[in-house]
Amino acid sequence: MSARGYRRWAEPLRWTVLGVAVLVLVVFLVAQRQSIDVSYGRSPASSSGVDTDTAGASDQATVPSVTEMTALVAAAPVVRLPGAVASWNEERVRAVAGDTRILVAPPGLDKDERARVRDVENATIRVVGTEVSGGLYQASADTLPGWRAQFATGDVTDLLLTLITTLRKEPAPADRDELRWREPSGPELTAVLTDLRATGRHVAPGATLTDIPETAARNAFPDGAWYVALPPHRFGEPLPRYGPALSARFPDQPVVVMYGLWIEYHGPGAADFAELAGASFYGQFAGVLSRADYPQRNVLGVYLHRVTDIRYAGLFERPLPYRPADPLRVALPALPWLFAGCVAAFLILSARSLRRPDRGLGRRRDTAPVRLAGLTALAVEMSLLTDAGSNPALTRGIVTLQAARSAWEEKLPARHVRTLLDEAAAELDDTARQVGIASYRPDNYLRGRLS
Amino acid sequence: MAHPYLFWLAGAVLLVGAGVLTALLPHRRAREEQRRTARSAARAAIDSAAVSRDAARGRVPEAERLLTRAESLVGGRGGADAARAAAGHARQADRLWRQHR
Repeated sequence: MSARGYRRWAEPLRWTVLGVAVLVLVVFLVAQRQSIDVSYGRSPASSSGVDTDTAGASDQATVPSVTEMTALVAAAPVVRLPGAVASWNEERVRAVAGDTRILVAPPGLDKDERARVRDVENATIRVVGTEVSGGLYQASADTLPGWRAQFATGDVTDLLLTLITTLRKEPAPADRDELRWREPSGPELTAVLTDLRATGRHVAPGATLTDIPETAARNAFPDGAWYVALPPHRFGEPLPRYGPALSARFPDQPVVVMYGLWIEYHGPGAADFAELAGASFYGQFAGVLSRADYPQRNVLGVYLHRVTDIRYAGLFERPLPYRPADPLRVALPALPWLFAGCVAAFLILSARSLRRPDRGLGRRRDTAPVRLAGLTALAVEMSLLTDAGSNPALTRGIVTLQAARSAWEEKLPARHVRTLLDEAAAELDDTARQVGIASYRPDNYLRGRLS
Repeated sequence: MAHPYLFWLAGAVLLVGAGVLTALLPHRRAREEQRRTARSAARAAIDSAAVSRDAARGRVPEAERLLTRAESLVGGRGGADAARAAAGHARQADRLWRQHR
């Protein structure tokens, strides 16, 4: 490629490369302002939990005054206030109870009412809803069967046993899952199925589920799910096993079954996340749920948010909804390399542009040496013929020739060398005219030499 | 690498450095060449004038003054402008001497 052609593309390329580098640098600097986001797939679940203090307080639930309650507790070892839901295996409790006095209050008390229950000093153990406390202690379940017993049937046997033995500094007996199941009868199942087919949900009499929280349900189960809401069962009453029965008939259908405030998931992926969802949900909210009186709808909403979070967490390789890639985030790792490449290209091109144009002999079409030699020879020839009149012109010509020679040797611009040669030629021309020999005029002489 | 930001900083410094260098170096080179060219031209003119002086009859104080000035200008460490001025003086001196033949 010729030098001119090279220049034609190298210069624009050089500045383009510089522009790209600056652009990349600016993008990098701007990207520094982005916040760091560690979420793996952004879960649309709202993170609002359950309001702990006032929500879930029921208007109907109330307790008598402290004096009245103290009197009641003094009169009987176990006092059940109206609306109390907790129950237990009396045989097992009696075996360890001794003179323990138990006060059972309904769930959904507000703060003052709970304080009143706490102020009944002769009650060894207070049960508010299914929250069991006594002295400085509070017993709480920490396994799925424990929570299931507590929220599906109001069973607090294990909690009571744990608390009583702890207060007496005795070893606590092992937990025992006393929940019993039964297969739903044919007509029961048919009725539930009819409802589910029609509306996607079955609300049994006594259940407090009014409707399904729609956004939460859509996020948790985009393909839709069936919801079966049953009221809390009495302790000892076997629970109908709707979940497995429905899953057996419709294996691809997610089914959510509520027994009171206990929520179970059955259906596709149950083995992967049902336990995790239940454990994380009840692990976080069991304390609040046990003393409050929430409608099933609210609890279901929070549970569905939890399911959504787990789904979006990308655990268990459940497919995530499509999220378009952020081009900036995709490009960021490449930016340093792009920048480095641009800098390197700019440096190389700059270095090339700095390199001196090659003035090596033969590369350039330089007529100066030929002309210089010719004129010098002419001056030498003429020096034999000059007289006093023509001598100064010849001398000036020779002096100028010397200047031209040193200029050429110092690689000064060709134009300058040419100018000096022109001046020298003019002086020699003068000399030739004064000498009177036309063939010594530089134009003629040089033409003769070259031919 | 000590810190990722250093990478960008070094790159930016390199870019700016290369830019300044590529802008400055040819400029200085061109100026230097101009200066040398002008000095060469001035020296050629002075030499021509000296020849004319030797060939002239009698002294021409005006021309001698001009030539002295031109020589001092070239002898000093002046730039292209000084050399051009010197060349002008020398040519004028040359002309004066040629008229006094």
